[in-house]
Amino acid sequence: MEIFLGYFLYAMSLLTVGGIYALLALGLNVQWGFAGLFNAGVAGFAAIGAYTYALLTTAESQFHFGGLELPLVVGDILAMIFAGIVATIIGLICIRLRADYLAIATIGIAEIIKLILKNETNITNGPRGINKIPRTWEHFTEERFYTNFPMNLFLNQKGWEAFFASIPKWWWQPFFAITIILIVIITYFFLEKLRVSPWGRMMTAIRENEKAAAAAGKNVTKRRIEAFILGAVIMGLAGAFLGQHLRLIEPTQTFDPSKMTFLVWVMLIAGGSGNNKGAILGAFLIWFVWSSSELVTNGVIEILATMFDSIDISILKNRAGFIRMLFIGLLLQLILQRYPKGILPEKRPAISGKY
Amino acid sequence: MWESFWFEFINFYFIPGLVLGCIYALGAIGITLTFGILRFANFAHGEIMMTSSYLTWEFVLVASSFGLILHPIIGAIPASICSIFLALIVDRFFYKPFRNSPTIMIVIASFGMMLIIRSLVQVIWGPNQITFVKGIAKPNQFIKDFTSNFDMMILIPNKHISILLGTIIIMLVFNYLLSSTKIGKGMRAVSDNPNLAEVSGINVENIVKATWVVGGFCAAAAGVFLALDTQFIESTMGFRMLLPMFAAAILGGIGRPFGAVAGGLIIGLAEELSAYPWLGNGPVISPGYKSGVAFSIMVLMLIFRPSGLFRGKVF
Amino acid sequence: MIKKILISGLAVFGISSVAYSDVKIGNPMARTGPIPELVKPMSAAVDLAVEHVNDQGGLFSDGQKYIAVKVDSACDPVAAVDAVTKLVNVEVVTGIVGPVCSGATIAQAESVSIPAGVVTLSVSASSPAISEMENGTDLVFRTAASDAYQGIALAELAMSKGIKDIAVSYANDDYNAAIAAVFSKAFTSMGGKITGNEAHEPNKASYRSEVNTLGSGSNNLALFAYYGSSGITIMRNALETGAFENFIGADGMLAQEVIDQLGAENLGNVTFTTSASDSSTDAFKSWKKHADAANVPASDPFVPNSYDAAFLMALAIEKAGSADRSKISAALREVANGPGEKILPGEWKKAKEIIASGGSIDYVGAAGPQDFDENGDVAGLFSKNTVVDGKWKPVVIK
Repeated sequence: MEIFLGYFLYAMSLLTVGGIYALLALGLNVQWGFAGLFNAGVAGFAAIGAYTYALLTTAESQFHFGGLELPLVVGDILAMIFAGIVATIIGLICIRLRADYLAIATIGIAEIIKLILKNETNITNGPRGINKIPRTWEHFTEERFYTNFPMNLFLNQKGWEAFFASIPKWWWQPFFAITIILIVIITYFFLEKLRVSPWGRMMTAIRENEKAAAAAGKNVTKRRIEAFILGAVIMGLAGAFLGQHLRLIEPTQTFDPSKMTFLVWVMLIAGGSGNNKGAILGAFLIWFVWSSSELVTNGVIEILATMFDSIDISILKNRAGFIRMLFIGLLLQLILQRYPKGILPEKRPAISGKY
Repeated sequence: MWESFWFEFINFYFIPGLVLGCIYALGAIGITLTFGILRFANFAHGEIMMTSSYLTWEFVLVASSFGLILHPIIGAIPASICSIFLALIVDRFFYKPFRNSPTIMIVIASFGMMLIIRSLVQVIWGPNQITFVKGIAKPNQFIKDFTSNFDMMILIPNKHISILLGTIIIMLVFNYLLSSTKIGKGMRAVSDNPNLAEVSGINVENIVKATWVVGGFCAAAAGVFLALDTQFIESTMGFRMLLPMFAAAILGGIGRPFGAVAGGLIIGLAEELSAYPWLGNGPVISPGYKSGVAFSIMVLMLIFRPSGLFRGKVF
Repeated sequence: MIKKILISGLAVFGISSVAYSDVKIGNPMARTGPIPELVKPMSAAVDLAVEHVNDQGGLFSDGQKYIAVKVDSACDPVAAVDAVTKLVNVEVVTGIVGPVCSGATIAQAESVSIPAGVVTLSVSASSPAISEMENGTDLVFRTAASDAYQGIALAELAMSKGIKDIAVSYANDDYNAAIAAVFSKAFTSMGGKITGNEAHEPNKASYRSEVNTLGSGSNNLALFAYYGSSGITIMRNALETGAFENFIGADGMLAQEVIDQLGAENLGNVTFTTSASDSSTDAFKSWKKHADAANVPASDPFVPNSYDAAFLMALAIEKAGSADRSKISAALREVANGPGEKILPGEWKKAKEIIASGGSIDYVGAAGPQDFDENGDVAGLFSKNTVVDGKWKPVVIK
C-alpha cells in the first residue's frame, strides 16, 4: 500500500513541477507563439517572481530583507506585478530588436538580474538564498499562520495542532498540485479567449506580416510590448510557485538558464508553439521524461550490471548524469527534425465565426 | 618615466586584458561568421572550442606514450583538423535540415548540440579538470631585462607571447583569405546578400562549408589558447566564454570578422579594467559583477547601436 | 519513441520496487554540476560503507542487503528536490545520506524530506542556516561541521602564523560566501585587519586584475573558492604576478589537483584548513586502513564524513530494528551519541552483535566523534594542510 502512496505522491510532484513549467511555457507562448518575440531570458522573469514572493511572504530573518509576512495570495499577485514592471522597462527599451538580437539581449539581461540578486547580499542573502518560503496549503500547518487571523477564528492553537496531527502529513500535496493545475487551466482559458479576440488576431497579423499590419493602422510596437509584459507576468507567477515548491531559492543554480530558459523553449517547441494546448502538453511531457529519465538510466545501468558481471560499470554509474543529458539532447534533435511544428501544431483562429 | 602607475597598469591589467581579448576575438570570429552567413547564433561554438582543447591534450598524451614530447601548439594541429570535421558533421546532420526553417529552430538545434557535445566529452573524459600544462608561468626573462634597460619593465610570460603572436598570425592569414581568395570573396558576398550571391553563380553550400572550416579552426585556436592560458581544461570552459564572445561579435558588428576582433579586445580589456582601482583603493566595480561588464556592454550596444562599431548587419 | 521510453521507464520502476528484502537509503550527491570532482571520492566512501555492512552480515537478523540508491542532486535546488522526491516516494528509502551542497540540502529537506518525515544526514552541507532550519522536528543531521566553526579556526590559524592584515577573496556561491563572512568577522574581532574583501564571479578565465587590486593592500590572501571553478586560476594568477606571498583557505581548495597543476615548488606558503579527523585516533586509523585497501582517498575533504554518514545510517536502521522511517531519528542519536560500546569505522559485525544482544553502542567516526547536538550538528575538528613532498600533509589543530 505504501508503495502506491509513494507513486501517488511522486505523481503529485510531477504534476506540480510540470504545472509550473506549463505556466512558464504558456508565458513564453504569448511572447513567441503569439507575438514572435524571442525571449531567451525566461529564467530572469521567473527569478523576479520567485524573489518578490519570497521576500514579501517569509517571516523575519537575520539573513535577508523581509518580515513583511504578507498573505500568500498577495505575494503571488505582487510577484506578477513586479515581473510585469520589469518587463515593461525591458520591453520599452528592447522591443524593437529583432529575433536573435532580442534573444541575446534578454539572455544578457537575465544574467544581469541574477548578478544583482547574487551581489545585493543585504536584501537577498546573496548566493546563500532565501529559505523557509511558505508553500500554499502547507503553510496552514505553520504556527505563525494558525495562531493568527483568520485561522485563529476557527480553532485555537491546540485545536489546530490536534487537527493537523489527525490527518496524514502529506495532505497538502494534492491540494498544492491541484491549485497549480487550476491556475494552468485558468491561464489556458484566458489565453485561448485572448487568442481569438481582436487583440490575438492582431498579434498573429503582426507576427506574420508586420508591415501590412502597420499599414493597416495597427500600433505594432505597443501590441508587442503588451505581449511581452503579459508573458512576463505569467512567468513571474510561475516563479512564485517555483519558490513555493522548492522552499529555498538562490540565484545561481535555481535559475540556471539551461534548466529554466532552455528547457522551457524545448517544451514549447516540442509541444507546438502558437498552440496553448501544445505548450501545456510539451511542458508536462518533457518534464515527465526529464524527471523519470534518471530512474530509467539508473535502471538501465542496473540491468547492464546484472547482465554483464565482468564489466566494470562504476564509470558508467559515475557518469550517469551526463549520459542522461546526452539522451535529452538527442531526444530534442529528434523532435526538432521529426516534428518541426511540434506535437500539436498551431491552429489559426477561424476567420469568421461565433467569436 | 615609467611610473609605478604605468608599471602596474600595463603589466597587471592591460596585458592580461589583451590576452583575454585575443581569446575572445578568435572565438568571436567563428560566431560572427556563422551569424553573418548562416544567420543564426550558434550556441555550440563554445563546445567546439572546448572539444578541441581536449583533443589537443589527448594528442599530446598519445604522443608522449610513444616517447614524443609535443608542445601543445603542435598537438593543436591534428586537433584543429578534428574540430573542423566536427563542425562540418554537426552542420550536415543537425543544422542543414533546418536551412529553410525559421531561425528559432536552428538556434534551438544548436543549443541541443551544445548539450550533446558537452555531455559526450564528459562521458568520454569525465567531468574532472585535467591539467593542460603544469606549473606556473614566470615572466620571460629576456623581455624583462631588455625592457628594464629602458626603465619600463614589462612582465609577460611565454604563454602570453605565444597567444598574442598566434592571434596576430591567424589574423593575417585570415585577412589574406577573406580579401584575396575566391572563397573569401564568396563568403563576403553570401554574408552581404545570399540571394544575390546565389544567382551570381556562387555555390552557397560550399561557402557554408568554408565558413565552418574557418569558424571551426578559429574556435580550435581559441580553445587551445584558452587552455594554454588557464593551463587546465574542463568541460564547461567553452560555455563560460560563450556570452562574452557573443558580446564581442555584436560589439564589432555581425558579419564583420575584424569588428569581432576589436570587440573581443574591448570586452577583454573592459573586464580586466573593471577591477582596476580607478577611484580609491577598491575595485571600481565589485568583481562579483565582472561578467556583468560584458553583458552590459552587449545590451547597451544592442539598444543604441545594433549594427555594432563597424556597421555590421542588422536582421 | 516517447511512448517506448515511458513504457521502459515504468518497467524499470517495477524492477526497482520488487526487491522488498532490501533496505534502501537515498544517496543524492552533486554528480553533475559545479563540483563533480570533489564528489567522486565522497561517493566512493559511501560505497565502501555499504560494502562493509553487506560483507559483514547485512542488516537485521535475516541479513538484508543495505543499498544506497544514487541520484544526482547537481548542487541545484531544483534537481535535488526532484531527485529526493523520487527517492522518498518511488524508491521508498528509509533515510537520506547527502546531498552535498547546502542550498540543495535545505531545499530538499524543507520541500520534501521533512514533510515526508524522512531523516536527512548530510555529508558536507556546512551552511550555518542548516542549524536553525527545523521547527519542532528532528530530521536534519550532518556529519560535517558548520562553517561557523571552520571560519573561526582559520582566523585563529592566521593569527598564530603572525598574519596581522589580510585580503579576502571569495567565490560568490553559498558555501564560500558563508565561510568568508565568518572568517572576516572572526579575524577582525581577534584584532586583525581586513584590507580588502571582495566576492569574485566563479568560472572566469582570468582573475589577474582582481588579484592585483586586492594585492595592493596586503601580502596575505585568504582565498575561499572551489579549486575547480576559480581557486586554481586565482592562485595561478596571484603566483604569476607575485601579488601575494601567503595564502590561506578552506576545504574547497584542498585537493591534489592544486599541487598537480601549480607545482609543489610554488606552494611553500600555502595553508588550507579542512574539517578533518585526528589521524592519531583509533577510529581514523581503522578508517585509513579500510580506505587505503579500497583505494579511497582517506583524507580528502568530506570523504570520511561521507563514510560516517552512510555507516551511521546503517547503524541507526539496525538499532531501530526495521526500515521504518519514523524511528530513524531517535535511533540515530542513540548510536551516534552513546553512551555505549565504542564502534569504529568498519566494525559492523561487532556493532550488530551488540545491538542484537540489546546493548548500546556509540559510533566514533572517521571524521570525528560524530556526536550530534540538539540541532543535529557535530563539533568540528580541523586540520591545517601544507605541501610536503608534493602531497598535502594534514596537521590537526588542537
